[in-house]
Amino acid sequence: MTVAEGTAGPKISSGPSRWDKTKESLQIFTSSRVAVFGFVLVFFWVVVAIFADDCTFRPNLWISCVTGDRAAYDQTTPWLGRYSPLEQFRGDNLQGPSAKHWLGTDRQGRDLWARLAYGSRIILLLSPTSVFIALLTGGTLGVVAGYYGGLIDEITMRALDGLMAFPQILLYLVIIAALGPSITNIIIAIVIAGAPGIARLVRSLTLDIKTRDFVAAAETRGESGWYIMFVEILPNARGPIIIDAMLRVGYAIFAIGTLGFLGLGIPPPSPDWGSIVNQGRSFIQAGHPWDALWASLAIAMLVVGLNLMADGLNEELQRYR
Amino acid sequence: MDRAVIKIQNVGISYETRYGDVLAVKDVSFDIHRGETVGVVGESGCGKSTLAYGMVNYLGRNGKISKGDIIFQGQSLVGRSAEELRQLRGNQISMVYQDPMTSLNPVLRIGEQMSEVLTVHRDIEETEARRRCADMLAKVNMPDPVKVLERYPHQISGGQQQRVVIAMAMLNNPALLIMDEPTTALDVTVEATALDLVNQLRRDFDTAILLISHNMGVIARVSDRVGVMYAGELVEMAAVEEIFANPRHPYTQGLIRCLPKLGRSKQGSVLYPIRGRVPSPANLPPGCLYEPRCDYARDACRQERPELRYLNKDHTTRCFFSEEINPAEWTPPPDLAPIVDEAEDADEVVDTILTATHLQTYYRHPSSSLLSIIGLGKKEYVKAVDDISFDVVKGKTLGVVGESGCGKSTLIKTIIGLEAKTGGDAEFMGFDIGNKVKKRDLNLIRELQMVFQNPDSTMNPTYTVGKQIERPLRRFKIVPKDQIRGEVVRLLQAVKLDEYYYDRLPRQLSGGEKQRIGIARALAGRPDLVLCDEPVSALDVSVQAAVVNLLLEIQKNFGTTMMFIAHDLSVVRFISDYIAVMYLGQIAEIGAAEAIYQPPYHPYTEALLSAVPIPDPTAEQKRIRLEGNVPSPLNPPSGCRFHTRCPRRELLPDGGQICEMEIPPWRDAGNGHRIFCHVPLEELEKIEPVIHAPVSTEEA
Repeated sequence: MTVAEGTAGPKISSGPSRWDKTKESLQIFTSSRVAVFGFVLVFFWVVVAIFADDCTFRPNLWISCVTGDRAAYDQTTPWLGRYSPLEQFRGDNLQGPSAKHWLGTDRQGRDLWARLAYGSRIILLLSPTSVFIALLTGGTLGVVAGYYGGLIDEITMRALDGLMAFPQILLYLVIIAALGPSITNIIIAIVIAGAPGIARLVRSLTLDIKTRDFVAAAETRGESGWYIMFVEILPNARGPIIIDAMLRVGYAIFAIGTLGFLGLGIPPPSPDWGSIVNQGRSFIQAGHPWDALWASLAIAMLVVGLNLMADGLNEELQRYR
Repeated sequence: MDRAVIKIQNVGISYETRYGDVLAVKDVSFDIHRGETVGVVGESGCGKSTLAYGMVNYLGRNGKISKGDIIFQGQSLVGRSAEELRQLRGNQISMVYQDPMTSLNPVLRIGEQMSEVLTVHRDIEETEARRRCADMLAKVNMPDPVKVLERYPHQISGGQQQRVVIAMAMLNNPALLIMDEPTTALDVTVEATALDLVNQLRRDFDTAILLISHNMGVIARVSDRVGVMYAGELVEMAAVEEIFANPRHPYTQGLIRCLPKLGRSKQGSVLYPIRGRVPSPANLPPGCLYEPRCDYARDACRQERPELRYLNKDHTTRCFFSEEINPAEWTPPPDLAPIVDEAEDADEVVDTILTATHLQTYYRHPSSSLLSIIGLGKKEYVKAVDDISFDVVKGKTLGVVGESGCGKSTLIKTIIGLEAKTGGDAEFMGFDIGNKVKKRDLNLIRELQMVFQNPDSTMNPTYTVGKQIERPLRRFKIVPKDQIRGEVVRLLQAVKLDEYYYDRLPRQLSGGEKQRIGIARALAGRPDLVLCDEPVSALDVSVQAAVVNLLLEIQKNFGTTMMFIAHDLSVVRFISDYIAVMYLGQIAEIGAAEAIYQPPYHPYTEALLSAVPIPDPTAEQKRIRLEGNVPSPLNPPSGCRFHTRCPRRELLPDGGQICEMEIPPWRDAGNGHRIFCHVPLEELEKIEPVIHAPVSTEEA
């Protein structure tokens, strides 16, 4: 060892910056055309949801700041959504697409584009939130079961297997029927139905990763179980977990749509995509397919987009292995 | 008379990648004659396997032969369609891969797989085919060949699987047999029998054999001629004796120098690693490819790439100065003087740091019977470590050797606390360490650290190198918080890495660098005892030499005690002061390192030593081959556990009945050298040494 004690003072060397790392991980994403296409589909609805009215990103706010016009500051105007989703245009009910109503109107004369735009907000908040909570619960159960094994594993996984034995749709129906339709209860239903699958995935990843030497190295340092599970193991399982989560957000959108269609979704008059399909269903044969068509297309677009993103990302990650 | 079976002429092989074509093999030419074994040796990433796959056009979708010609029995193999190739080759070329299990179909019986080779290629009837298969299995020394035909691959041992694969390759009596690292996945004793088989097949069938290996010892044992590959080029080719006695390319010389000679130890000698690493095919130096790592590099080497040229009729080299560089005149760089000085302090106080007495570690074996499901079945145990007693002396190294499955890893895991002991006692500096690591005191945990085998999994891929070395510093509170970074840099320098490695991610490092960081991480807690579980067996020889040197230097500077597991007997001999030979969960022989490698031997040690491939074709080794498999540790043999395979039982009256009946006594050969055997010491001492190496001429 020829280390002089004087060299101990550290120089801050410049490693890869945070931006470089982000750029690198983005590159994996952008190198797959499929993923980029999926991203465009999803991004469309994200933009629509954010700019449906100007409440957060209100152009009027900036205008008022520049001009000092107090009235413009207070006035909220629908922006991308063009109209309020609840505004009923007398005499304009059950119309097809036109310049005034881009996608047409429903039975009450409400603008369909406005309803879809505002509806996307609900769905884009609700499904990622519920999947995230499912990820937290399922992920924790899975990593604990996988890491400790034995009786803990046996009990947890058998309980979750029991839950998985029920068809998901049945679980949703039972939970919503018991608790009543509301945003919180929809989240609860999706978490309960989704967590077992996530737990399974995380458990199998944990079983693989915990045999690696760096986990043994952490054990020989006497690290606690929590440290090993959440600092050593879980970060290395993130690839498959992220891809699974993307798919699950898609399924959650389906689930919310289904619940809305069955009348168990967010209570009316909220512009829920599923309930738009349900309401429009009876007018298809009357020559007015627009409600059902646009809302179904919107759901399909989001879900397909998320699936393509997950597929593309998965392919890229496989190639990097 | 042209006896060449295959002629490889200026062959270049390239892979298409995202960043354009990458030339993995450049301009390689050689012939293989009938009844000749050509060995190809080199570090990983030098294009050895690509060459072999290229010869059978098995390069995968993105690989192609971009240059040159391969002429097999007078016909070119390049540029033909898969079907044409199949007809041309017929069944004249066979290939044997590294892992026998991947070459055998696990759902087919061995007889079905083997006879298929015959019935598909030729019009041979089923019964006739089976008869020939049984004959061939007998020729590869398979015990009970007819019964083996009825078994599935998982029912026979790894060595037998490899024999089946070789037998299958030989069924059609091929003109050329290509073997890609055929023994790398096998234990030394099994490897020895497999290599004997290669020699025997070449004699009996007059086959041309191309054998690829990274192990110079394997190459020395079976080859007639040796080609050395470096970065996709053939840099030297000559007869095997010539390559080892008179290497004329600096790379070949470097490869030979970085191997520990069996019987050499850290006292008075040192390993000479090759600096740097193999350049990636995408980023080659402009001149000679070896120039950046070469001790003899001159200006001419940087300007122009040397061509392969003839030194004499049978010796080619790709170096401008081959005539001038004499391996005997090579002087080691000044910073590589022998690390441990020869003058041993005779009346040194021998301080024991770790004591194990009758240590046992059993694993519960899950029984498949119905009764055990409801908890009534007989409990079965794998006796991984069974009744082991030894001491480790402070500041010294105890090496542990043995075949896979002998319990050496379990022993280390028990000491460090990853497994709980079943019985016996283990004490470390007076503290009991029989419990698992979670129940130990933090200070005790800090004193025992471990270096792991697999460089790819020893580091957490998510975090930077710095973060991972910091963790033990924080956890054991070695230095105040504001000095952590400085300490990490100091540790990096201790393992000869620069400060900029701090921000690197593990995937940006080579295997050797990862292993160094694993060592730095183990040293961070300033432990008294470092347990090394095969730390160098996954590394290339040149890197292995550097890591071994590093461990020795650390031991010298910090006075660290080490336990060192390895299956390579030369490495263990080099690094250890004391050695324990393990067989089936028990110690067969233990003592000072030099005593283990000299008679009296335990019969098992003797067999191990005679199996080690020695990188010197002129060395004479006694030929002792163990029969049969390692018995199951679930139900080890009675008496002496080695009695089922012991070649020395006949030294005892009535064929060694006693070996089956009674547990052998410990025979004390003096100086702490103990042998666990029924054969009396006087008999064991009469056995001749296993290895007669000629007096080495290049002693520096």
